[in-house]
Amino acid sequence: MKHLFPLGLRLALMALGLVAGCTSQPPKELPVRVRWTRDPESLDPLFLANQYAIEAANLLHLSLLQVDFSKNDFSPALAEALPTVTLLGDSLTRLTYQLRKAAAWDNGQPITGHDVALTLKLMYCPGLPNESARAQAGFIRSVQVDSLNPKRFTLTCQGQAVEHMQASGDFFILPEAVLDPQHELRPTSLPELQKRIPTTPPDSALSRLARRYLAAVPMPGGPAAALGCGPYELVSWQKNQALRLRLKSRWWADQLPLRPFVLQARPQRLEFAIIPDDATAALALQHHDIDLYPQVSAAQFAQLRASKAARTQLAFYTAPSYDIVAAGFNTRRPALADGPTRRALSYLFDAAGLLQATQLGQGLRTVGLIHPNDQRNYNRGLKLLPFAPDTTALLLRQAGWQQTTPKGPWQRQSKAGPRQNLALRFRYRADDASFETIALQFRAAAASIGIAVELLPTEASALTPNLQAGDFDVYARLIKGNPFLFNFMPALHSSARGAGNFTGYGTPASDQLIEAIAAARRPVQKAKLLRQFQATLQADAPLVPLFFMATRLAASRQLRGLHISHLKPGYLITTTERKSTSSPTP
Amino acid sequence: MTWARRLAWLWLGVVVTVALSVPYLPLPYSPAVPDLAHIAAAPGSTRHWLGTDAQGQDVLANLLFSTRTVVLLTLPAAALAALLGSLAGSIAGFWGNRLRVPLPYWLVALALTWTFLRLPGEGYALALALLAALAIIMQRRIRWRWPAFRLPLDTILLGSITVLGAVPRLLLVVAITSQGITATGLIALLALLAWPEIARLVRAQMQRVRVLPFIEATQVAGISSSRLWLRHALPHALEPLRTALPLSLAALIGLETTLSFLGVGLPPTVPSWGRMLAGARLNPSSYPSAIYPLILLITTTVALQTIATIPFIIAHKYNNIKQLKTS
Amino acid sequence: MAKQWLWRLVQTAAGIWLLASLVFVLSHLGPVQGADVLLPTAGDLNTAATPGSFAQREATRRAVQRRLGLDQPVFYVSWQSATDTAGGYWRWHGLPNQYHSWLLRTVHGDWGTSLSSREPVTTQLWQAVVYTFPLVVITLLFTLLLAWQLAEQLAARPWWQPLMQTALTGLQALPLFAIALALLLLLANPEVVAWFPPYGLGQTTPTDVGWGPWLSSYAYHAILPAVSLMLSVLPAVTLQLAGALRNELAQPYTATAYAKGLSQPQVIRRHALRNALLPSLTQLTDLLPTLVAGTLVVEVVFALPGMGRLLVQAATTRDYPLLVGGVLLIGTARLLALLLADALYKWADPRIR
Repeated sequence: MKHLFPLGLRLALMALGLVAGCTSQPPKELPVRVRWTRDPESLDPLFLANQYAIEAANLLHLSLLQVDFSKNDFSPALAEALPTVTLLGDSLTRLTYQLRKAAAWDNGQPITGHDVALTLKLMYCPGLPNESARAQAGFIRSVQVDSLNPKRFTLTCQGQAVEHMQASGDFFILPEAVLDPQHELRPTSLPELQKRIPTTPPDSALSRLARRYLAAVPMPGGPAAALGCGPYELVSWQKNQALRLRLKSRWWADQLPLRPFVLQARPQRLEFAIIPDDATAALALQHHDIDLYPQVSAAQFAQLRASKAARTQLAFYTAPSYDIVAAGFNTRRPALADGPTRRALSYLFDAAGLLQATQLGQGLRTVGLIHPNDQRNYNRGLKLLPFAPDTTALLLRQAGWQQTTPKGPWQRQSKAGPRQNLALRFRYRADDASFETIALQFRAAAASIGIAVELLPTEASALTPNLQAGDFDVYARLIKGNPFLFNFMPALHSSARGAGNFTGYGTPASDQLIEAIAAARRPVQKAKLLRQFQATLQADAPLVPLFFMATRLAASRQLRGLHISHLKPGYLITTTERKSTSSPTP
Repeated sequence: MTWARRLAWLWLGVVVTVALSVPYLPLPYSPAVPDLAHIAAAPGSTRHWLGTDAQGQDVLANLLFSTRTVVLLTLPAAALAALLGSLAGSIAGFWGNRLRVPLPYWLVALALTWTFLRLPGEGYALALALLAALAIIMQRRIRWRWPAFRLPLDTILLGSITVLGAVPRLLLVVAITSQGITATGLIALLALLAWPEIARLVRAQMQRVRVLPFIEATQVAGISSSRLWLRHALPHALEPLRTALPLSLAALIGLETTLSFLGVGLPPTVPSWGRMLAGARLNPSSYPSAIYPLILLITTTVALQTIATIPFIIAHKYNNIKQLKTS
Repeated sequence: MAKQWLWRLVQTAAGIWLLASLVFVLSHLGPVQGADVLLPTAGDLNTAATPGSFAQREATRRAVQRRLGLDQPVFYVSWQSATDTAGGYWRWHGLPNQYHSWLLRTVHGDWGTSLSSREPVTTQLWQAVVYTFPLVVITLLFTLLLAWQLAEQLAARPWWQPLMQTALTGLQALPLFAIALALLLLLANPEVVAWFPPYGLGQTTPTDVGWGPWLSSYAYHAILPAVSLMLSVLPAVTLQLAGALRNELAQPYTATAYAKGLSQPQVIRRHALRNALLPSLTQLTDLLPTLVAGTLVVEVVFALPGMGRLLVQAATTRDYPLLVGGVLLIGTARLLALLLADALYKWADPRIR
């Protein structure tokens, strides 16, 4: 009988007892803990790989203009005021900025226009991963720093788009004193660097700059260099585990008498915990291991709200989002090259059912890429597409397709000669269940009328290259939108084929319309053009917008000042505070 | 047969019957078709008898079609592995490193490989092959002995087994199938992973069989060694397959289920137990729906393990044990 | 004897190199060539960026590829399919190709940098091993201990032997992920009981709270993963050992031992065990690689930042330097296990010496 508890079992029980006895004690002052799904991968301000890297960079660095959650617009951060805009001729814009007098780096040196100039030159420095930054700020052609007042400088930009003002203030400013202490690059002008042919080997000044930059960029587990002028500094970065930030003890904006909203920074310590799994994140929230769980999925949200224990501890927030779930067709394929076929296929999506199934009804159906809440620009004259496979069959026949047997494959004799078959390959992001539901529903509906659909779940990082290469027939993805920026150039203009225009769509009429929308200044004219564009898009159907999403957030009841908004990331961490006494939710 | 083995065979028969007949069964719902109105329904609450999963797919339909996936994927893979493994193992066990192959055969093999790989100079290779074929015919007629070189079959087999075992199977499969793979490709890959074990067992058995007296007697009678291998030694060398085949089938089922669980391999429209269990992991509240695939998995594996155990006497048929043991 | 052993080592090393090369070449054949991973996500409507001309984009893409060294050919030879004739031909590229540079760099110790995180591969692998290695070692030790105790009990045929054997057989039928999942859904589920945390390793570092509490937090989070790993390998080891022990106990020499006055536990421990271990040695030496392979699944289920999850992520995101480095590392571990196995054989069986 004494052998009923063998040695191994005894040891295991002892170990369990030991562990249960001394679980970790919580540290003294709790940081505000937010859940992230993935590691930011890189904190390099020139190369921010995902939304979490952007979020961290926004806390460590500052740009000239920053998104203002209280106004839903851009507000001056490092700049004292919005820049003065001067139009030169019909192709150039001149923006003049004045930096704040108190703005300074951590070592006390003032931030000047030379820092801005160096940051722009960094985007053209070979050997750095600055290709995406170059694409974003490539319209800035030159920068002149005022010799009398180094805090004043002028940017000359190519083109006269309305959005240039916002875009010109949208990159993080880096210190010249750290990266180019001897001012070796001041004589080289920005246009010279832009004209450099990429294959020429870099000269010594440029290679020194690149080397210093790469040494200063924070790496996981490495020392935190002082590259940013933002309110927070990096404490530690554990890859795939957590990112910890701390408020700087002496920050230049503390001295400002009237602190603008964009320069607020209330929490002392911040911790971003990386928990890839949704279910474990929900558990962590309920165990008080994290305080804020942004971008909750609809099912998870409903589950949390249903749990009585969770309701007493947590507060739930919902806000409309400007992200659209849309499907797109590859107009480069001969079978899908004509509008009537695509319009026919767009009746195969059960948008209402998908909204109910994936978002539990939270969200809004739409006829185009404009949010229904936008009273002025949304085209109420257009009708929402119903789910009607019979209409698809009818429209396909009208477009010239024929079925040899009922419920058999569809074929069409094209004018050029070869017989076209209607068999589709559907690409979507592999790790998201809602896209899989959309793909499965489309496949089932298509199978009911005889169209074969092959599903290709693609890894997130491989999806964009496959879409750019045109290796698909139908795709479904989330398009991140913007309520005040109507720039359809990257997504639907013919010049963007191979970049952001995955569908390959672009007729002269639609291109003209998109350019007119980008150039329109008066709101009434813009609204008319946008309505026309929505009608064109529904008729040609390269994209089938299914519905707008809603953002959901669950947070501990102790948190205040979250400023829930549709602007990314959905909450404002710099104004979030923890109040230990419970009071009604804001 | 004991009642346990009878039950096991019965269960496996049921599984195979269901797998083959399920497309013709009058099920109310098809698999891989989301019912958008009833997402994650509980069993019995709607017309879905076992409820629906997080995508709205009918659990019962998915369960039944998964058996079809399992049978149609692992059975051919195991059969292929058994074929490859027993062939390779018995050849290596019978001839060891002693086989001597005459020169013309070497030339023919070289020429064929050259042509198959489409290396430059295909014409020369084909001419060489023709010459070598002529030489073989000549050997039969004129009885001229070409020089023969040793073909180390045993070393090759053991070397390939070691090479294939260098990296864990799961890592290898994940690395190769990470971009998606067709069903045929997956069957080939699974067969590639399962044949070494069978080859090793058959080789060991063949080495034991080769030294038995009746083989020597047949050799003395003058039968050629290939006929000896095929007609007399091989049937006995295949004995271990009685245990090895069900066990490798069980291992392949486990591997395929793990792959579907990790989301690697088959497309999402192919139902599989692993995928159903992965869904249960993402929604811990729907854990009862994980029970059905789990039960089927355990039952099938236990059934396979039951039919793999063979009576003691037969197991030691070739071990020259004089006394019978009762165990 | 030594020659055979050396020959097996050479074969395994060759196998590892072959597999790493295969993985290297396969990772390069897909559309994601590393460069596209680093360009921004296009197609969104929330930027003011203009697309730029096609020529500009191509120049940018080529610049990124050049920076990463991806514009060279992949291997020494490649198959060029001709467009006008039916067949194709092999083209020799010579020494400047990606495979050759990879080979030289790896042999000199530079295993490259990961494409997604731009950290050195060796650092990432090291960090992952630091989390996986303790888990594997602890599981190994507990498995051996528990299997030893259970096998000793089972060989003595107590009343609960049939029950235990059925339980172990049933456990053996479950794949590892099913065991891990069952434990997760039963013991770390707020709907059932939530005795254990289901995710990751605690949110604190040793520098934050000191080594003591950090270690206990690590242990607390590692219990469920370790238990699932243990349960998946325990049945096979135990049943094999118990069977071998029972065989030994039926041998004549044990009768002699009993006649000399030793009790059954003493007979088992002093005489039968050493002989029973021999048939199980292959299985025991295979245990370490099996556990390492098992961490692949367990780390995905329990979201641990270890080796398995790193490699699965590298495979799915086509981060080929990391993937190839991981394959090399695990292959080397296998080599070590082989070395250990042969040394153990020599020590255990005097007949071999």
